[in-house]
Amino acid sequence: MSIAIAPQPARRLSAAVRGVPASVLLSFVVVIIVVLWSVVPGLFTSYSAVVANPAAKFLAPSAQHWFGTDSLGRDEYARIVHGAGPSVGTALVAVGIGLFAGGLIGLAAGFIGGWVDAVLGRLVDTLLAIPGFLLAVVVVTGLGFDTLNAAIATGVSSVAIFARLMRAEVMKIRHSVFVESSYLQGGFRGYVLFRHVLPNAYRSVLALAVLQLGSAIIVIAALAFLGYGSPPPASDWGLLVADGQAYATAPWLIYGPAIVIVLTVLSINRISRWLRKTS
Amino acid sequence: MTRARPQQKERHLMVRRNRFHRAVLGVAALAALVLVTAACSSSGSTGTTGTTAATNPKDGGNLTFLIQEFPAGWVSSESNISSYEGNLWGEITDKLVYVSDTGQVSPWIATSWQTEDNAQKYILHLKPGVTFSDGEPLNAAAVVDNITLWAKGDPARGIAKVGLFPALYFEQATAVNSTTVEVDFSKPTLGFIPTLGYHGSILLAPKTLALSVNQQANLKNEIGSGPFVVKSFQTGVSYTLERRADYNWGPAALGHTGPAYLNSITYKVVADESTREQAVVAGDAQADFNVTPSDIPSLESQGFTVATPRYLGFVDGFEVDGGSGPTSSLQVRQAIQHAINRSQILSTIYPKGWDLATSFIQGNVPEVANDSALFNYDPSLSESLLNQAGWVVGAGGYRQKDGKTLDFTLVPNPYVPSTQQEDELIAQQFGKVGIKAQLKIVPLSDYASFAAVSAAYPLLSVSRSFIDFSTVGGVLTSLNGGQNWFGVGTSDKTLDTLSQEIESASSTAQRDVVANQVQSYVLTQGYFDPIVQQVQRIYLIAPNVHGVTYNGVAYANFYTAWLS
Amino acid sequence: MTDVAVLATDQLPGGAPGSWPRGRPYFVYALQRLAQAVVVIVLAYALSFVLITVLPGNAIATVLGNPQTGLSPAQIKNVESYYGVSKPVIVQLWLSLSRFVRGQLGVSLVTHQTVTSLIAGALPYTLKLAGTALVVALVLAAVIAYGTQYLPGKWARSVLRAAPSLFLSVPNFVIGLLLIHEFSFQLHIFDVLDPNNPVGTFFAALALAIPICAPLAEVLIANLDHESRQEYVLVARSRGLTQAKLFARHLVKPSMLPAVTIAALIVGELMGGAVITEEVFGRNGIGSVMYQAVSTQDTPVLQGVVALATVVFVVVNLLADLVAPLLDPRVRLSGGGRREVAAA
Repeated sequence: MSIAIAPQPARRLSAAVRGVPASVLLSFVVVIIVVLWSVVPGLFTSYSAVVANPAAKFLAPSAQHWFGTDSLGRDEYARIVHGAGPSVGTALVAVGIGLFAGGLIGLAAGFIGGWVDAVLGRLVDTLLAIPGFLLAVVVVTGLGFDTLNAAIATGVSSVAIFARLMRAEVMKIRHSVFVESSYLQGGFRGYVLFRHVLPNAYRSVLALAVLQLGSAIIVIAALAFLGYGSPPPASDWGLLVADGQAYATAPWLIYGPAIVIVLTVLSINRISRWLRKTS
Repeated sequence: MTRARPQQKERHLMVRRNRFHRAVLGVAALAALVLVTAACSSSGSTGTTGTTAATNPKDGGNLTFLIQEFPAGWVSSESNISSYEGNLWGEITDKLVYVSDTGQVSPWIATSWQTEDNAQKYILHLKPGVTFSDGEPLNAAAVVDNITLWAKGDPARGIAKVGLFPALYFEQATAVNSTTVEVDFSKPTLGFIPTLGYHGSILLAPKTLALSVNQQANLKNEIGSGPFVVKSFQTGVSYTLERRADYNWGPAALGHTGPAYLNSITYKVVADESTREQAVVAGDAQADFNVTPSDIPSLESQGFTVATPRYLGFVDGFEVDGGSGPTSSLQVRQAIQHAINRSQILSTIYPKGWDLATSFIQGNVPEVANDSALFNYDPSLSESLLNQAGWVVGAGGYRQKDGKTLDFTLVPNPYVPSTQQEDELIAQQFGKVGIKAQLKIVPLSDYASFAAVSAAYPLLSVSRSFIDFSTVGGVLTSLNGGQNWFGVGTSDKTLDTLSQEIESASSTAQRDVVANQVQSYVLTQGYFDPIVQQVQRIYLIAPNVHGVTYNGVAYANFYTAWLS
Repeated sequence: MTDVAVLATDQLPGGAPGSWPRGRPYFVYALQRLAQAVVVIVLAYALSFVLITVLPGNAIATVLGNPQTGLSPAQIKNVESYYGVSKPVIVQLWLSLSRFVRGQLGVSLVTHQTVTSLIAGALPYTLKLAGTALVVALVLAAVIAYGTQYLPGKWARSVLRAAPSLFLSVPNFVIGLLLIHEFSFQLHIFDVLDPNNPVGTFFAALALAIPICAPLAEVLIANLDHESRQEYVLVARSRGLTQAKLFARHLVKPSMLPAVTIAALIVGELMGGAVITEEVFGRNGIGSVMYQAVSTQDTPVLQGVVALATVVFVVVNLLADLVAPLLDPRVRLSGGGRREVAAA
């Protein structure tokens, strides 16, 4: 690689970003499908995710059963579709909690400053000191084994990250010249907050939120895999993988839900990366 | 000059070395010959005792037993009834009597016993010369220590009593002399002797019993008198037991009373079920605990034995709350019985080796009756009973009465994993006759406190072993501190009478009469919904293991086992 | 950037730019960090204790409540009172905290072993797994970062750039199950029966390392991109320095600081991931101790494991904080901590 070539890839990159790459479009399609699965699962499958059909157990994937059937004869694809709501919808709850609670903490810490900042800082440090997954396990054990509670637990363990980012963004803007001049012109704090701080901070926080969505799906799936989510006959994706683990002769019971999890999170991550590039 | 002398010296040394070498080689060869002969002879030797078995048990060898975990630790008052630890306890301890898998009681450490005073006083005669593995004698004083702890526990030290021990009327146990123990009760207690063979009634050295709970947590401190002794262990990884060479007080019922044939048993902790199975199939281990029921047919076709021993006790099924809610109506209770399709449950979830229940007690309990006809699957009968009771099919397909829907929440028993699939099927079967049902999963850690509130859940899963039929008397009503399984307190006079007759029976002949009556009464009243006969422990045994026996609480005895 | 990377590039709360005296002596800085670490450990212990102890029920009742024991609720309560599980939470917290600062972690309510001995027995296995995973993650991240700069073929380089994102999209239990299915069941390369043999440990470490190497790789790539555009690198290249030497001498060393920062933060994810990986591979270790403790609500053990993880995390980050000024003098000069510098 010679020196002369170095600047060109950069130019080409920015040109590609202006249009929307094919992988991002594909990612949007996947996400939309999954969202539709959560909202109107009945549209996508006529099989029941719950009713057992013992005569049809352990059937391999076929035209009738795209992902095969499980130990009680239920169609695996139907279980996955009905499991999208608990697996992905609750991730939105998790991110919401992190965003809202973390954002408030970060805003307060960064904007008010002083001892409020110090106290909140210690709280955030404490939350961070407990490894995220262990904290989620402890919280979900206390709340009860249910996917919604698993989502709350995941949200709690992401509060610290949102708090830190929000605080950093607020700090950056708070000391910038145009904000100081805004004070000089007589603007009071609340006005400055909404007019200048939030609009500039939201973009990076949004990018983090989308990223955290993918991460939340994985953490919730991991909690469900360990048995800390909703119990059967619920069909959380993590729980489906755990169920599949017990039957080595029916590998489609593992691969089916696993592929769906990976594709969903991959798409979300792709979108997040694209958002960051364009912001 | 100086060169010559060293040469001579060297030659001399060389000769000495040669001779020395030859001597060493000779000794080595002799030693090798001895070792080889010994090895050949030990693998070819026949059993040391004269059993009446058709094949001759071979002495020696190590049996590797794979188990998923030992979760309950080694404080005997807490883990002696554990399905997992119970395996190890059974090899390192003895009991006063032996109860076979058909409920026959036979002598063990107690060689004989008499009962006097209308089954209120028992005199146990102990086998002389029995010792614990640390040399302490297993005499009357030691037995008294054990019995007192089983009966009362020691809450001040954090030690629980043995639940099944008939402690309500227990007065005291005394050592009359070094081989005679007298036990006194304030009321007739027919179930006492069989309870001495329960897996909670293991004999431990007085030194062990005196230790604090924290000290008892160390397996090395648990001293028993059994055919095996704990040699070494690595917590959570492996536990090795070695046989006791001076053991000669095995239960006569097993046909062998001398030392165990196996040299050692090694328990290895392997969490994954399919891994354990594959290891046994590959020959890396000789026994495995708890395989997936659906794998049983293929394992058996490969020549492996899969034992599904049954404990004495209650079958897998529901106890029904007859005191409140919709189930206080006899017709509703009967309708529920006839709405459960047991054959479908059996064929869907359980492979061969499991059987339908014929009563609410297991098929190997001596007092069992065949009352299957009383609770057969008959959905049309269910429907007509429900109609008669006023529960009519409304909107949505479920039965309603006075504005309420007939709705039950089924709670799978976390101690019996297959109950979850059972409940899922039952919920659907209920739906077919118009009864609404859904599952509520209560995790293991919450189940104890939940089970105490039965009013909210009229159908409660049962998993309970017992060693003697008298236990049944203690669950029917709330009389005398009974467990009131059917929620009727003392309002059902027939139940009250039956319960008292069982508990006050002073002979088994007397009790047998009542046993039949109680079974048909409970079932016709719909107080219990039997499903299948309970198998709580499954053992996968390799073909080269022989002579494994099973006792009345469905544990495998490897004391009599040998490897070919 | 991943969330871990966000944390690394953020400032410490309580320290706005310009609020710390610049160029303060090292030992003052070290003392302040140490004090902060102690405060955080104590607070985190209290927080996790309250979360855990708020649970209804207790392990004694769970074990004795097995229907097989035939004990009545009253009889169980009798035994429970010995273990103090029904005292008010504040009292229990005080007792637990005063034991903790003396190094005692209490006794398991299920097996009655001391929590310290339980953890001590399981820790070596987890350390082996986590240590191997950390090494594998570092190597993977370095290889990926190197490849994004120097691999011939633009397509290959952009595939490698996308690799961290792919790694973050696959849950580690899925990776673990896939590895077991392919390499153990199908190809018989390792035996899950004996999970402690080196090959088995490697695969378990691989499953644990893959999601963890992603933030590390991303930060390395970002830094390499940034550094490789600096003038001195262009000059060095024009002088004919080979790529490997360039990588080692000019790019690796300045990237060390953010790498150390991220590695310290990754320790937290390692411990969380160990719980799942040990479950999937059936290995002994702290993860399986925790899993057991959750199912029986064995609160002292649960508390002990969380406390251990917290202490490890805080200590590792403290060490990274103390090492940072030595790695990069700009940290000391700016006075704001290594995280500011990593963002630069």
